[in-house]
Order: sequence, then C-alpha cells, then structure tokens
Amino acid sequence: MFTTDTTATDIELDLDAALNPGEVEGLYRDSRECAYLALLAGGGALLLSPPTPRPKKG
Amino acid sequence: MTTTATQDPRETPGAGRPAREHASSGTAGASGAPGAALAVLPGVLASALAWTDAHRTRFALPDDVLEPHTQVNATLKPLGELAQLGSTIRGTTAPGAPEHELAGDLVAYAWEQLHEGALLLELLRAEPFAAYPYEIYAAFAGYGLRHEGFEALARPLTATRAWAHTEQHANRQLGLVNSERRVGVVTHTDAGGVLSRTWLGGLSEPWMFEGPSGYALTHTVFHLTDWGRMPDRVPGKIDGYLRTWLPAWADGCLESGQWDLTGELLAVAASLPGPAPAELLDAVWPVLADVQHPTGCVPETGVPVQDPAPDPYPFIDCYHSTLVTAFAAALSLRSLRQTDARTDETTPGRERHTP
Amino acid sequence: MDQKHASSPLAGAVHDLATEVVLALRSGDHLATVCGAAGIDEENRTGIAAVRVIGADLLLPSVLYGRHPHPGDVAVLDRAVREFPPKPDAPAATAWSHWHMISTLQRMAPPAPGAAAPGAYAEPDAAWLEEAPWQAFTHQLSVLAPLAVPAAPSAVQRAAANRAVDLSRGFVRAVRRRDWLQAAGAGRWLAAVGGEPATLGLERGLDFVEQMGGHDPRVTLHVRAARLMAEARAR
Repeated sequence: MFTTDTTATDIELDLDAALNPGEVEGLYRDSRECAYLALLAGGGALLLSPPTPRPKKG
Repeated sequence: MTTTATQDPRETPGAGRPAREHASSGTAGASGAPGAALAVLPGVLASALAWTDAHRTRFALPDDVLEPHTQVNATLKPLGELAQLGSTIRGTTAPGAPEHELAGDLVAYAWEQLHEGALLLELLRAEPFAAYPYEIYAAFAGYGLRHEGFEALARPLTATRAWAHTEQHANRQLGLVNSERRVGVVTHTDAGGVLSRTWLGGLSEPWMFEGPSGYALTHTVFHLTDWGRMPDRVPGKIDGYLRTWLPAWADGCLESGQWDLTGELLAVAASLPGPAPAELLDAVWPVLADVQHPTGCVPETGVPVQDPAPDPYPFIDCYHSTLVTAFAAALSLRSLRQTDARTDETTPGRERHTP
Repeated sequence: MDQKHASSPLAGAVHDLATEVVLALRSGDHLATVCGAAGIDEENRTGIAAVRVIGADLLLPSVLYGRHPHPGDVAVLDRAVREFPPKPDAPAATAWSHWHMISTLQRMAPPAPGAAAPGAYAEPDAAWLEEAPWQAFTHQLSVLAPLAVPAAPSAVQRAAANRAVDLSRGFVRAVRRRDWLQAAGAGRWLAAVGGEPATLGLERGLDFVEQMGGHDPRVTLHVRAARLMAEARAR
C-alpha cells in the first residue's frame, strides 16, 4: 500500500512525536464504597469512628 | 456537597486534573533539593496551627450533641481529632516552643468541651455498646486527661467477649487495641495478629494502592505507632515496604490533588523507625506547602483556591486536612532533626530485592 | 489497515505492525514475515515509519526464540534505519532507539563477509538517564522498552539494572495513572534486568496491565516480551 496522499512532512512530524511521546494525562478514580460498609465517613478520613446507628426516638 | 478524599476528583467541579500545576515537583519528577522540607516545615506547622486556633470555636460541641439525631461525624469526630492530633503535636515539639504551647491549649480546649470527660460518660451511658466513645476517650487518656467514672463504666464492657469480637476492619481493630493500651487495660487481642490482617500488614501489591487502601494503610501505621509516638513498633519488613513504595503513592496523591491523603502519607513517612526518608519529605513537602492557603488551612482535595481572603473553604472540607498537615509537619520536623542529630546513621534500609 | 482507533495513518500502521509482532510472539512461528503480514514493504513510507516506531522489536520474536529473522523483515528494518536517522538535535530517546536498531541488525543479521562495513554506531549519551528523577526515568525507559531484551548490553540497560527500585516505583505510578503502555514498558524492563522489590508482585501486575490495556497491541507486546524473558530467567 502506497501512501501517496500523505506528505513526507506529515509522516516525519508524526514520527518525531511517536518516537518521543510525552506522558499521557493521568486518570485517577478510586473505588467507591457501599454505604453501610463505609470506612471513610462524613467529610473525610475516618480518624476515630463512623456514626453508630442509634435507636429512633419515641 | 461534601468532598471526600476518596471520591473521583473528576466528579467535583474544579477538582482533580488542574491540580497538576501544583503537583509539578511531583509529576515532573523534580525532587526537592536536600533541605527543602526543613525550609518550609516550620512555617507550615505554625500556620496550620494558627488556623486551627483561630477556628477553635468551630470544634465546639452543640448543646444537642448527645441527641440521637446529631451527626457524630460533624461534632465529636472533629473534636476527637483535634485532641488526638494536638496531643501528638504537643508531644513532638519542644517545651516552650509556641507550637508546643498552642497544641496544649487546643487539647485543653477539647477537654473542656467534653466537661473534663463527664460528657463522654454521658455518651457512654447513652450508647454503652459503641466503641467510639472509648476511642475518643483514649485520645485524652493517652495524654493524661482521665475521668474515673468513664473508666468505671468502660471497665466491665471492655472485658466482655462481645467487645473482643467487635466486627470491624482490621485497621480499626488496631485502633481499638491502641485505645486499650492508652487507657492502660489488657488488650483484647494481640496487635501483631491484627496487623497481619491489614492491607499494609499483608504487604499488598503496591500497584493496587488507591484512596481507600491508602487511608487503611495510614491508619494502620497511626494506631500501630500510637500516632507517631512509637516508631519502633513498625516491624522491619513493613518499614522497608513503606520506604520503598511511599514515593510512588505520594506522587499519585499530588497529581490527583488528594492533599489530605498526601498529608497522612507524610505522617506515615515521618513515623518510621530510623533515619527520616529525607528524599521523599524534600520532594513532597514543598508541594503541600504551596497548596496551603495563606491563612494556614489546607483543602482536602482539588484545586487550591488562590483568593487570599479568609475562609476559602467550608470548615468541614478543610479542618481534617489542616489538622493532618500540622500533625505530619510536627512529626516530619522531629524525624528530620533527629536524623540530623544522628550523624553516624547509615542509609535507611530498603526492602530486600529479589535475587 | 485497521484505523478505527488510530489518530493518524502512522498510528494505524504502528497498531497493525505491533499486532503482527504479538501474533508472532504468541505462536513462536515467524517463518512468515511480520512486515509482510502487516502489509509493509520497502516502498511503503508510512509502513517504514511504523517500523521505525516499533524499532528493533520488529525482530523480537527471533531475538526471544533464538531464531534467524526473516530476510524480508531484516531488509525493512535496515531500510527504516537508513530512511529515518535521528536529526542532529533529536531527543536522546530517538537516538537510542535508532542505535538499538542498528545494533540489533548487526547481532541478528551480520553483514556477509566482504560486504560494506556498517557505519559507526557509538552509544548515544546516557548520563542524563542516571540523573533523571524516577518518574521521568521510568517514562523514558518505557519509551525505550525495545532495548529491554536479553544479551543486548547498553548504557540504558545498565541504568535500568542500577535503578530497578526506581523503575518499580515508576511501574506503580504508571498503573495508578492508568498509563498502561508506560506500565507495560516498565514491567518489561524489570523482567529483563530483575532486581525489583519482592513485594511488587510484577507477574500479577503485568497480567493486570495486559487485561486493562491490551486494546493497544504495544501493551500486549511488552507484556508478552516480559513474560517470555521471565520464563527464560526462571529456567
């Protein structure tokens, strides 16, 4: 297959980029927690404890 | 909406990727020059403590704190954390230093809020089978602030089979063991056995690190070392494992703007036995210092606000990371200064390599 | 050529070529030419450029299985070396991958006695690698993953062996960033030079990277290369 539709310059630019690629953007995503198993509760890390279920009033 | 340190930063407007620019020294790989951590740490500690002091009334307990509808996580949890981290800061700073005095003031303030423990006894009477009143009490007991009535009620409860079989994550069970040690009772189980069931104790594959395992790991170390006071309790294998992998984990936290977890990892790094992991501290502390707001607070996650006006973040979104920053800074100063003092120290041992 | 996922004709050709190398690695059979299977001959400039990108990994099946490479592949690799020499101001990684293509050709397909001697091919500079922070070091090494093959000493390989812990950290960092290609390249280096901390769990980690990033055949290529080298080390 000849690539007559692609100019030499295009190829060389693509090639330079392919030979010396920068880092891709990092993609961060943490596991979610199922509510009642929550280790981390409220506004951030659990330091002392999650809320304890309490009996309803009345 | 409350931003948690573990959620996907991309779900929070303004959080996540743009943090890159602040993380440049982490992600571009330019590690800090030797001494970079020591250059920023005193200012970071003083400023974080000053913010906490200026916002101490935000830790005050509401009148209805014992009512069943009151959120523990917005009331007792922050106050317990103030006491816990404040007592470590006091313990790791030199008597006479302003930080030492201020940290002591803050612990005393928290104790006052609990009516010198009487309120904790009331809480325990309301919820006698809960573990958290005991854990909060232990934060004070380890500091020497005690309440006889609380201990009298807790004593039979903590001697039960049910207490010894409280169902919870291993890292939190380690917290319970540490609470027992602080109160001075016989521990319900052996810490070593619990440690081996934690993510950290299992020497988990480091490429599986993320927010939840990260917090489990930091808390394992906090409980194991009694919040950084007893670095020698870290077994050699875990010490080597942490020295090997903390740099990789911290880098990811910087790039993703997880400042709260970054601070906790720094506290872990500064709680290791032997010489400080200076290269790591020098690389990460300047970045976190840059994230800290001029008023001293540190956001939990996301792009830091550039506006110098006071209170750039809701209290609930920054108090924890600010306390953690102060705690980690105090521990890091201790670790680096001790290392400097021990000039004959050898290089920290890394984990042994495969043959 | 399958360009569904390719951002350019070159990227599509690289994708196809890497796929063929993976097939040859999987079967251990490379009597047929890799380039031929990918539809690349010496007249196809995009294809030759793709060979320049894949570099010496074009001959990887022969290198790892210890067989003679197909003359057609040797000719195309030789053509890529001549067609796309590094410019004087080229980045070091570009100079190194070019150097490694020449060195592989000389090792795998020495010129016949009396043939024209190959040009000078002194090793490019590698001092920058020794000083690079571990993050940048791993990224650059990953770009140079084709150099991670047995019995092919180079300053890059020595740097990798000297900094196995840094590479391991880079592997962990790359996985956390979900940069599967970088992780695969770093893992391949570790399989080649050894010395990773025992707790890394490289084998399972590479399995994971292959599952997550295997839509890119270059990821599969590095992981399979790593596995073959690890198996050879274990023997």
